Amino acid sequence: MREIIAAIFIIAGILVFIVALLGIYRLKYVMNRMHAAALGDTMGLGLVTIGLMILGKDVFHVAKYILIVLFFWMSSPIASHMIGKVEMLTNKDYDERVHGK
Amino acid sequence: MNEKKTFWQHLQAWVNGEEAILHADEYIKKREQPHQKRWIKKPNMQRIKENKGLYWFLCVLVSLVFITIMLLVVSHLPTFGQPINPTNNEVMERYLEKGIEETGAINFVAGMILDYRAFDTFGESNVLFLAVISVLILLKRDKKNINAREDRETEEDERFDRSDHKSILKIGAKYLSPVVILYGIYVVLNGHLSPGGGFSGGSIIGAGLILYAAANGHEAMRRFFTFKTFTLISVGCLLTYCGCKSYSFFTGANHVGYEIPKGIPGNILSSGFILPLNICVGLIVACTMYGFYALFTKGDM
Repeated sequence: MREIIAAIFIIAGILVFIVALLGIYRLKYVMNRMHAAALGDTMGLGLVTIGLMILGKDVFHVAKYILIVLFFWMSSPIASHMIGKVEMLTNKDYDERVHGK
Repeated sequence: MNEKKTFWQHLQAWVNGEEAILHADEYIKKREQPHQKRWIKKPNMQRIKENKGLYWFLCVLVSLVFITIMLLVVSHLPTFGQPINPTNNEVMERYLEKGIEETGAINFVAGMILDYRAFDTFGESNVLFLAVISVLILLKRDKKNINAREDRETEEDERFDRSDHKSILKIGAKYLSPVVILYGIYVVLNGHLSPGGGFSGGSIIGAGLILYAAANGHEAMRRFFTFKTFTLISVGCLLTYCGCKSYSFFTGANHVGYEIPKGIPGNILSSGFILPLNICVGLIVACTMYGFYALFTKGDM
């Protein structure tokens, strides 16, 4: 029973990752791509680690997964923030591109 | 004033702290400047430019000699892919059966790359050091490698950096970079017990250093990591590695019989030289990672 619940979570996470990947390939602009990539970092990673936590053997396994998620959820928004800031400061056509005309 | 003093007068003057040499001022004016010996001769660029043809010839000759030696070695090797080759049966069995007993490392990979094939890893560490040195030769900003436009651009960048507060990145790096560096140290020190080791742990430490440098700027980094520190760490680690491994190779090859204590497999202090060698490799890799980052962004360390 435990394995089935874990498998459902992991497969759902992998589906979210696939959606994120499709988004990165389909969208053409940095800001849109960032929006798609954030999906994998937050929801996909969260679902996969919940599945692995259910499969975990003892408390320390679960604690390690929590640390991984914590690290990602701290570092990924900072990285996105820096990318967005650099794009806003360096792209000359930023207003035209984002707000339209 | 008496030209010649007696011995007693000399002694009196010396005890009282008066002049030790007669007419000291004249002596200082007249004495010859001590001839300074120049230990490092500056290469004469004019002569090198004149003898360019000879240098070409020597380069080609040296390369040809090395190519011939390599090809002769290759011709003596067994044919690739044969089932009777020692790599396909003997070496693997030996590693798997006697690995723990002979190296004392639970992690087989660490036992292989730092004990059986330590010489190969030594070459890899040297390659990393040489890579940084060549990038340094090409990209270092000094008197001869700068022009007015680049200078102005870097000045603009620096002004922009200073006006930009980067508060989010700073807070993130404040909490994340110590954790990243600590995890890298754990991976390096646990290299002979669990997956990991010098190369992976060193790159994690380098990533932590890069995060710190990106958040706080090169000025904050320069307080504890300059080019001098880089050379000291890299050369010191390479020399330590060389010393450790030469010791075990010489004693092993000559059957001197002094064994490094292996300890109990599984303890943190076990498996002979693998732990110090892991630390050396980790430090070299961390310095290389940060060195590349610093050279490509600022052109200086």
